Amino acid sequence: MNSRSLSFRLVTWYAGLLTVLFVLLGALTFLFLRHFLEANLLDIQARRARQIAYTLLAGIPGGSEASVAKQVEMLYSPEVNDRFIRITRADGELVYASGFPKDNSFDPARVPLPPLARNGEFYRKESLSRGDLLLAAVTYGASGSARYVVEVGVSNLRTEGTLRQVLIMMAIGLPIGVCFAVTGGFVLVRRALKPVEQIAHKAEDITQHNLSQRLPVVQTGDELERLSISLNHMISRLEDSIQSSKQFVADASHELRTPLTVLRGELEGLAQDQQLRPHTRETLGSMLEEVDRLAEIVEGLLALSRLDAGEANSECVPFDLGELAATTADQMSLLAEDKNITVICDTSPGVNVEGDRARMKQVVVNLLDNAIKYTPSGGRVCLKITHDDSYVILEVADDGIGIPQEALPHVFKRFYRVDGSRSREQGGAGLGLSIVKSICTAHGAQVEVASVSGKGSRFRIKQSLVINTSVHALS
Amino acid sequence: MRILLVEDEKKLCDLIARALKAERYAVDVALDGQGGWALADTYEYDLLILDLMLPSVSGTELLRRVRRKNQEVPILILTARDATIDKVQHFEAGADDYLTKPFAFAELIMRCKALLRRGPMSRATVLRVADLEMDRLSQQVRREGRRIELTPKEYALLEYLASNPGRVFSRTMIIEHVWDQSFEGLNNIVDVYVRHLRRKIDDPFPTKLIRTVRGVGYGLGENADI
Repeated sequence: MNSRSLSFRLVTWYAGLLTVLFVLLGALTFLFLRHFLEANLLDIQARRARQIAYTLLAGIPGGSEASVAKQVEMLYSPEVNDRFIRITRADGELVYASGFPKDNSFDPARVPLPPLARNGEFYRKESLSRGDLLLAAVTYGASGSARYVVEVGVSNLRTEGTLRQVLIMMAIGLPIGVCFAVTGGFVLVRRALKPVEQIAHKAEDITQHNLSQRLPVVQTGDELERLSISLNHMISRLEDSIQSSKQFVADASHELRTPLTVLRGELEGLAQDQQLRPHTRETLGSMLEEVDRLAEIVEGLLALSRLDAGEANSECVPFDLGELAATTADQMSLLAEDKNITVICDTSPGVNVEGDRARMKQVVVNLLDNAIKYTPSGGRVCLKITHDDSYVILEVADDGIGIPQEALPHVFKRFYRVDGSRSREQGGAGLGLSIVKSICTAHGAQVEVASVSGKGSRFRIKQSLVINTSVHALS
Repeated sequence: MRILLVEDEKKLCDLIARALKAERYAVDVALDGQGGWALADTYEYDLLILDLMLPSVSGTELLRRVRRKNQEVPILILTARDATIDKVQHFEAGADDYLTKPFAFAELIMRCKALLRRGPMSRATVLRVADLEMDRLSQQVRREGRRIELTPKEYALLEYLASNPGRVFSRTMIIEHVWDQSFEGLNNIVDVYVRHLRRKIDDPFPTKLIRTVRGVGYGLGENADI
């Protein structure tokens, strides 16, 4: 899982915060519980001490200290109840002290004497071998020998045990709770972010050729719905602007045609005149050549804007690419021969693809023309078609001047020239490869180029194969 | 022969009219659809040349009206719209030929001639240009009685040039007739073939027949002095 993904980060944060919160809450609960339990325990002890003081010791002037001790023993039986009771006279004489408790939780003999001078009620905690002894003390009597300190205590072992159990429960419960929360949170986040995934997928599919498509709008009423709607608005604005720029190219090329016709007509008329001076004739010829070039550019731009508009898909029939390539290479062989270039044609018929035959032919023509143009005399141009079960690869390779590395990413751009002066000399509008690319894109084919400057170039077109071979017989 | 030309671009209209008049045709001109229809409705023409984008009545509408009245007259459509679907629509509406701007005037004239004759330009079995002889059946070419061997493409090129001796053909016209549209813009292929043809047809003989008009194209004729 990607550690930078939104769902991962959200869940990590959420789990971290939850753990901290749980630990804090647990600690607070634990402390509060301990305090409450101890306070409660001390309160009970204090009440007992008061009982002893105000009911039993109050009878001393009539009775004796020994009878008080007996009564305490009888009424409270501290040993059986694991309680500590001690009555001390102000002069330090013990009136009564309970014995070993049944659970051996403390040793009564080792409990230090209380501060005898202190008045009123007070609490203290004595640390003993096992746990602590919680003690409540009450003083009774005015002063001198008639003053007593009654102490009632109990070991906190039992409450400590309870607290330990609570602690264990928390230690087990917390990780389980966090685990549940993380799993639940993860599922929720995934569900909430699923539309994002869908939007991203769809957005990747949308290129300049299918801008009419829109992203799925999740009807959740949340931020994601707003996001998808605003993205769709953006795409439609993009579509409008691309549409208007395409429309501009189409309109402009269109409008240029009539003046070009007039220009060419006038110049042709002049050039046909037999009485012209050679210099004038040359000038007229040169002008006519430029008009031709202009017309060619206009045609190229129109063809491109039509391909952009998706017109190429109007005609989609199966045809034999192998046969098409071989025929085209044959038709162009004289061009190569004229430059003393060998054309090696390695194709076999029966390789069927689907598309517009005339346009695919133009692809082969443009690639071969380029290869011949940029290969010096004596070079070789190789046209090869290979195929596997699903794809056809058409390859045009030459051992010509090649394309510099830095120019490679741009060769399919409109009007791009590797080296202005060199290629303009060779003629052409600078649109040949853009047209190749546009036709290939319209046919769902990929075109790629590899080249080493000075060693040659290789153009490859990869297109889906039509499996049904019977169409060959039909065509 | 009387031709009606309906084209709203004044300059182009004048130019076409001049070119047609130079070929000894009588030319009537209308600058909008309404005027064109008035003329077409009133007079009998041998050929109509219509632009499609016209003010008042569109070329398409004019084409329909004319066809309703007269099934026979050949109609040549002249337009800047060259999408296949446009062409098909207008052929279905009754157009006989279709020429997209920018076109070579030589081509316009050739097409007009072909439409006026209502048939192939020349169906004679043997074509003769000066001392050059082409037998269309056996596809044999002779000059001064000597047999010249030509490849099929060279033959097709020569036959096309010989179909209208003295006329200059633009490279685009030659490509469209001898190759196909995929080769459009590949003008140097024509130059190469013409050079090869020249080597066989002209080089061994004192009189040169293949004529080059720079910027315009090639032609076949006796005064190949350029």
